Amino acid sequence: MASIDLDKMLLKIKSTQWSLSDIDWDAPGAELITEEQWPKLKEFMADLMWIEHVGARAFAAMSKKAPNDTLKEIYSYFHAEEQRHANAEMALMKRWGMLDGDEIPEPNINLRLVIEWLDRYADEMPVYVLGTVVPMLEIALDGALCKFLLDTVDDPVCHQAFEKINDDESRHLGVGFSVMEMQGHGATYIKTVKMLAPLLDPRLLLGMASYAPLLNKMRDNIVALGLPEEKLYAAMEKFDKIGGRTADGRANPWFQIIRQHAKLVVNRSNRLYHTPVDALVRLTGHIPKRVLPAVPSWVKELTYRPAA
Amino acid sequence: MSTDTDTVKPRRSPDKKAAAKKTAATKKAPANAGAGRKKAAARSKPVAQQVAARCEVLIIGAGFAGLGAAIRLRQQGIEDVIILERAGEVGGTWRDNTYPGAACDIPSNLYSFSFAQNPDWSRSFSGGPEILKYVHYLTDTYHLRPLIRFHENVASLSYDETRGVWRAVTGDKIFEGRSVIMAQGPLSNASLPDMPGIQTYQGHKIHSAMWDHDYDFTDKRVAVIGTGASGIQIIPELVKKAGFVKVFQRTPGWVLPRPDFQTPAWNRGLFRRFPASQDAMRKALFMFHESMALGIIWNSPLTRLIERIGKAHLRLQVKDRWLRRQLTPDFRIGCKRVLMSSDYYPALQKDNCKLITWPIARLSEKGIRTVEGIEHQFDCIVFATGFDVSHSGTPFPVSGIDGRQLNDEWSRGAQAYKSINVSGYPNLFMTFGPNSGPGHNSALVYMESQIDYAVRGIQALRDGNLKALNVKPDVQVAHNQAIQKRLAKTNWNSGCKSWYLTEDGFNATMYPGFATQFAKQMADLDLNDYELITAD
Repeated sequence: MASIDLDKMLLKIKSTQWSLSDIDWDAPGAELITEEQWPKLKEFMADLMWIEHVGARAFAAMSKKAPNDTLKEIYSYFHAEEQRHANAEMALMKRWGMLDGDEIPEPNINLRLVIEWLDRYADEMPVYVLGTVVPMLEIALDGALCKFLLDTVDDPVCHQAFEKINDDESRHLGVGFSVMEMQGHGATYIKTVKMLAPLLDPRLLLGMASYAPLLNKMRDNIVALGLPEEKLYAAMEKFDKIGGRTADGRANPWFQIIRQHAKLVVNRSNRLYHTPVDALVRLTGHIPKRVLPAVPSWVKELTYRPAA
Repeated sequence: MSTDTDTVKPRRSPDKKAAAKKTAATKKAPANAGAGRKKAAARSKPVAQQVAARCEVLIIGAGFAGLGAAIRLRQQGIEDVIILERAGEVGGTWRDNTYPGAACDIPSNLYSFSFAQNPDWSRSFSGGPEILKYVHYLTDTYHLRPLIRFHENVASLSYDETRGVWRAVTGDKIFEGRSVIMAQGPLSNASLPDMPGIQTYQGHKIHSAMWDHDYDFTDKRVAVIGTGASGIQIIPELVKKAGFVKVFQRTPGWVLPRPDFQTPAWNRGLFRRFPASQDAMRKALFMFHESMALGIIWNSPLTRLIERIGKAHLRLQVKDRWLRRQLTPDFRIGCKRVLMSSDYYPALQKDNCKLITWPIARLSEKGIRTVEGIEHQFDCIVFATGFDVSHSGTPFPVSGIDGRQLNDEWSRGAQAYKSINVSGYPNLFMTFGPNSGPGHNSALVYMESQIDYAVRGIQALRDGNLKALNVKPDVQVAHNQAIQKRLAKTNWNSGCKSWYLTEDGFNATMYPGFATQFAKQMADLDLNDYELITAD
């Protein structure tokens, strides 16, 4: 598949905007959430919302680093769109009575670490690192989680909201994979080395140390919710399939790294990977909240209210 | 037609007395300027033979440039001048831009004419009302009012080659002049931006250049769209009064501190008693701004230094890391206009103010919908979205020799000789024509050199008993090649999008050099550069 025309994509993005007020959040159907579902769904939605929010911050970093004006503007839209998804998900939580007053649900500790990392280092990261990690997060977490949600929740308003969210996400992925191919295009040995050079950067290693437990933690959460973890893995394999559909895509060393990592995540029998990462998940679970610095102010931008 | 109308008598020499007497122009503001313009353009064909007045020099616009030109012409003994002004008052930019906080970001001692200095500036950077007062002072001191025809909005300008006169058609009159000084201003037209849904918004709309002084902002929810030179001046004032202000920013600019302070009384006294001291002050300010060119116009170590000052200013004034990130520019300083404010950043952090950097999706009935899915609702939206800058045309049709149209010739970017003359349009002088914009120094310094060049041209017509001065096309081409070559190395052409550039990235706006170089370029009028058409 040829790369998409980014200028046309930008026009498409601009012409397909929607806002929270396009959805009637008080429409009937909220009662379709069963009592049994409710507590699990609450936790699940909080995670999902935070993942969107984290994705938003990553796009903000990519917008700063984008190699051209069109991509810069596209990423600034994606930044806002991910925030819109988080807002819409928060509105669903509000609808289902899952918000404690106006409080934004607390992010879990692994997300909290990722937020901290993003806030400190994301802007310094080369665009191709985030440009590969973000599609992975989107496809794995968004894709698998949203699918699970629609399979289990009957509320029509939820379906209405996710139809819009999924439309946005398909554009995000389209651009994401296209950019990965652009970066892999004609990758020479020197270019590969340059692209991999950030691996020596301790800031990136720190990022990976937050990313790996996040995936395992989300896997655990999904299992706790009764979703077969294979669904998550199926989504992650999609990354491999689409990202590797062209020679350019395969030539992108970061695609190869993330893909290899995904294989590790999927292979539960690989103890060499899972034992330390699971330990990390447990370990991070013990980090007391008070040792973490205050959340950055962009975190407080979330709202479930369609109008402000 | 009014009583001062007379009919065309070809090749009639200008009648000075008549011109001086012709002061009582009928006041008739065009109800709809746009429609009036079209109608008048249609009438500009040589069918209407009624001429309201003719003169030696026709000046379009009674702002700083037009008034300054009239003063300098008169100082050279050229008295037969008519100024056509579309509004009912003098002042141009400073008459129109009366939004709260309007001020100049060049120190007043430099943002004034060297030949008419004002010892009484109350502040180092005076506000709009005081600058407008200075314009009125110029008008009255130099007795310019009798020259001005108010409410005459020029709809078209055409050159009659046979007679060697320019003919300006306004709403319902024709004015003729041997020479024309176009002083209508580069930033004189403003309109609401073409944003999706702008017509659906039902609340109050205000454009910064057409401020609604009757609107009471007290306790209102207000949006300000735009954070350019006007926006950053309006926001601190609105925050003082409005209930809540949301600022919509697309691109953060570089903001440098503005050392604005009250002029002490002794200082004013000193300037009044010893004008040489004010001259010295002006020269010092001039040299300081000139040195800034090294960092602002070209990429140099000074650029990094000025950027560091900008960043330090941001860090000192904004503590929150995310807000600081939102306000950090991602282009080289100088590429877009550098902003000067010490109270913009603090205003943004007031409890009743919030910076919104989400892209705007559309305007809705009640407010602004941004891409994060939220509708921000407002009582009033202030558009600080700048001016309609035309890089490839003139605000009204200008036709020259053989009916050539300046808009056509400029469709791929405006070009002139030394910013002031265009080949094929004899005796037409422009102020702030192509490539005359300063990025680092006072516009009035540039304006003075342009005015004096025009005056020299008009003087040459007189002295040589010439019908016309027409710049040679090859001279103009050579000039522009050199200018564009120099522009390629400047920060303006370093990749950011700004109003200095056309859609295609052509820079027809800025002058690539020091103000001193520009003054040198304008200092001599070489008649060898012109075709001289002698009077019959």
